[in-house]
Amino acid sequence: MRNLFTIFTLALCTVTGAGPALAAGAAKPASHGTIVAFGDSLTAGYGIRESEAYPAQLQRKLHQAGYQWTVINAGISGETSTGALARVDWVMKLKPDIVILETGANDGLRGQDPDLAYRNIDKIVSTLQSKGVVVVLAGMRMLRNLGPAYTGKFAAIYPRVAKERKVILIPFFLDKVAGKEGLNLSDGVHPTAKGYAIVTETVYPYVVKAIKQKGGA
Amino acid sequence: MVNLRFIVRQMTGAKRQCAVFILCVALSMITLVSLGSFRESVESSLLRDAQSLHAADIIVRSHAPLPSATEQEIATLVQHGQTKSARYWDFYSVVQKVKGEGSLLCDLKVVEPGYPFYGRVLLRSGKPLAEVLKPGTLVVEQQLLDRLRLQPGDSLKVGNATLVVRDVVLQEPDRPVNFFSLGPRVFVAAADREALGLIGLGSRVEHVTLLKVAHQKDLDTIASRLAATTDETRVRVATYKNAGSRVKRFFDNLLFFLNLSGIFTLLLSGFGIQSTLFALLKEQERTIAVLKALGAKSRFIIGHFLAVTLVLGAIGTLVGLTGSFLLQGFLPSLFSGLIPAQVTLQISFNAIWQGMLIGLLVVLLFTALPLYRLKEVKPRAIFGKEDAAGMWSRSTWIIAGLGALFFLSMVLIRLRDLKTGLYFMLALLGLILVSYLLAALVLRLLRKSTPGSLALRQALKGLFRPHNASLSIIVTLSAALGVIFSLTLVEKNLDASFITSFPPGAPNVFLIDIQPDQKEGLARLLGPGARYYPIVKGTVSAVNEKPIDPEQERKSRGDNLGREMNLTYRNELLADERIVSGGTLFRKDWGDALQVSVLDTVLKMHDMKVGDSITFKIQGVPMTARIASIRTRTSSGFTPFFYFVFPPDALAGAPHTIFAAVRVDKERISALQNQVVDQFPNVSVIDLTETVVIFGRIMGKLSTIVRFFTSFSIVAGVLIVVSSVFATRYARIQEAVYFTILGARRSFVLAVFTAENLLLGLVSGAIALLMSQVASLLICRKGLDMEYRPYPADSLLLVAGTTLLVVAVGLAVTLPLLRQKPVTFLREQSDE
Repeated sequence: MRNLFTIFTLALCTVTGAGPALAAGAAKPASHGTIVAFGDSLTAGYGIRESEAYPAQLQRKLHQAGYQWTVINAGISGETSTGALARVDWVMKLKPDIVILETGANDGLRGQDPDLAYRNIDKIVSTLQSKGVVVVLAGMRMLRNLGPAYTGKFAAIYPRVAKERKVILIPFFLDKVAGKEGLNLSDGVHPTAKGYAIVTETVYPYVVKAIKQKGGA
Repeated sequence: MVNLRFIVRQMTGAKRQCAVFILCVALSMITLVSLGSFRESVESSLLRDAQSLHAADIIVRSHAPLPSATEQEIATLVQHGQTKSARYWDFYSVVQKVKGEGSLLCDLKVVEPGYPFYGRVLLRSGKPLAEVLKPGTLVVEQQLLDRLRLQPGDSLKVGNATLVVRDVVLQEPDRPVNFFSLGPRVFVAAADREALGLIGLGSRVEHVTLLKVAHQKDLDTIASRLAATTDETRVRVATYKNAGSRVKRFFDNLLFFLNLSGIFTLLLSGFGIQSTLFALLKEQERTIAVLKALGAKSRFIIGHFLAVTLVLGAIGTLVGLTGSFLLQGFLPSLFSGLIPAQVTLQISFNAIWQGMLIGLLVVLLFTALPLYRLKEVKPRAIFGKEDAAGMWSRSTWIIAGLGALFFLSMVLIRLRDLKTGLYFMLALLGLILVSYLLAALVLRLLRKSTPGSLALRQALKGLFRPHNASLSIIVTLSAALGVIFSLTLVEKNLDASFITSFPPGAPNVFLIDIQPDQKEGLARLLGPGARYYPIVKGTVSAVNEKPIDPEQERKSRGDNLGREMNLTYRNELLADERIVSGGTLFRKDWGDALQVSVLDTVLKMHDMKVGDSITFKIQGVPMTARIASIRTRTSSGFTPFFYFVFPPDALAGAPHTIFAAVRVDKERISALQNQVVDQFPNVSVIDLTETVVIFGRIMGKLSTIVRFFTSFSIVAGVLIVVSSVFATRYARIQEAVYFTILGARRSFVLAVFTAENLLLGLVSGAIALLMSQVASLLICRKGLDMEYRPYPADSLLLVAGTTLLVVAVGLAVTLPLLRQKPVTFLREQSDE
């Protein structure tokens, strides 16, 4: 019976999720600002060490380039956009200057109506913007097996919010990583450390753009 | 030289003892043969179940197409006729209605015609799947039709293809193994795979190749050959034997318990045989003494009595075999539903000859000591002045040693595990030793007491009459009752943790990801029966300040600390929880320090105890908590459980979701799902009805079977009570006569005997209860790895019941004696 329940909890865990993590300590350095990586397991770094997930890699890359910014990993595995919306106030406690918002993938994996994800993301973005936060929205695409009708509607969410709310859009967060063997864990969905190196490269220019928009240097 | 007349006379002279002896042998035969046949049937059906649970002998799974080397190997195997293969692709997809609005997430299974190799996909039309599932068609679960308001014959858009629903699937052999599903099942023919356009780069699809081997003996070789073709971790090769179906643990526990009760019944019958024979020989002591005085050698006497026991044993075996055959008519109805219909339950010849051999061994073993004792009967016993022989001569030790060896080998053969076997033997030896010590202690205490009532004083005297058998009777009775009590207690516990874990009202529908502000609205929808559990996500980052490495953790075979955990908060225990360490859920005397209560399952992943510290990362915040208590679950049903429980104020601020469990009638589930999707689109509904129903049914059956086999040992116990009271019969006749001659009334004699039996029963019952509580606790906790409950009321009932039985049997034996005139007895005495 216990085995049975292990399966149950494991399954539950893969669809629901996990706690966020601080990539580089909660303390904000005296320098230039805070970026909060707000997302699901793809942000949290499901199945790998925290130091290898993209927020930690991004911070290292920013530091190398002379941007003394802190990147906080606030990813929760399995979280849907509804969960993210409920967590905005909590995220605001981290006093972010910039938020990289990566959410919606779990909505898609559960086949939830893309309109719901659209409404949630729109609301998150507007709430963050109203508090003076610069938002970088990570575009997401849904797995091909869900069918063209669904994936089409899903992929349209992000450009639509970006256009309507005038936020910086990363066209596809997992560009050059999704579906590539060796860049993903054996579950075929979550990137490895190598995969995250590419994700970091993808995200980096948009974050620099956001930093500039914020007026930092 | 065997004197047949002597043998016949011995048997007709002690009809009742002979009857008990025969019954004991017959009982052990029935148990052995039935259990043997049942075991073989269950094992073969278990393997069949395992095959059908996986639909194949070998299962190769991967998240991507198989590496070419593996494909090549499979092709070679198929070409050489060593295996047959069938592939299927399992994935989620959102299907669209063709007419009108509507879409639904479904669990697709695109199957090749060979699927399934074992078991059967049950369709509403009753037709085989391969016949219905032609290219261009779909077979779906009823739930899909309900939720999209469709009829068979309607079309559905799946990927790029438009397919027609042809039939409804009712049951799928391998569904219980992959029971966790977010959407209803849809079967698609493999021929339509390309047309769907859903499998390829950017898809998440489970690629499964099923293999059926031509010869079962090649199973492991072929599996390891396939595994050797690739070192990629994403390719997983399993056989139906090692894939570990979760039903197997129940069956393992059941078989273990049945074997245990089988061996115990054998042991009890052995005790019965031995004490009957002792009683029989006791009555024949003078005859034997006379024979010896006339020059008969011990060998002659032992030989003849051995012949008597062998004849009785043979009759018992025959009775037992007949009984077993009669029982077979009853077994199939008992086991129906548990064993697939195609397995015919029949007496296996293996079981018969094994049973006969073991039966013979038991007879020989348990008669050895009483027969050997015949050597020690001296001719002067004619005068009734024989000294009691020393209890533990060298020969006794040898016979006892042989007995122990025999049972050890029995246990080893049956349980197939040296360690368990040794524990079992040690426990048995301990049982007899403890019975002996406790019985001796109680008797010594009783001897010193002088109660006021004359009848009671006489009863006490009776216990210590010369050549008394009180000690050996109490030892036999308490050991036997101890075994029966233990079986009863273990059965009750099995019942509590397996069967009643699946009560008719158990939750079958689970809702995940409810947001706190949706709880009220959802509660209106679900009604009053639902239970809600707050869930906060978090990870364990260190235990006692030693960091946890998720990659290392994930290498462990079971659950591990490397994954993200569902944490919860509350101040009270759940109905099926118990504290095993720490006293209370949280400590009041620890001040403001953060506390956590840990489920004992976690202790298997990592060593920890009350007072240790665990560091969590909860929503980005590191939090170190001290372990205030360790909990365990007392049931194994589908109730949610949590590894880590915090006090509410500690996590109240953290964002959380709510998990709900509720019982919903099967017909209402689709409607409920539609309502939930309409009002709370972010909430996912998981329906486990099928699994809950199947488990509930299996568990109910198991309990019947367990009870059935335990009843054998209870009958054996009754026989022991009867035979041990018989053993004192001769001494009682004497006493009854003397009491009557001295002018005692019948009622007084009756009172004395009743008091004596009452004492015997109570003392044995109490000793038995004490031992059985310890024994069943050990069996439950160590042997079956489950929670133990002591059942005090039932225990007291057991003691009362057995005491009553001893008194009743005692009266039944004594009453006819009281009706005899003393003079008859005295005349018989002087005749000898």
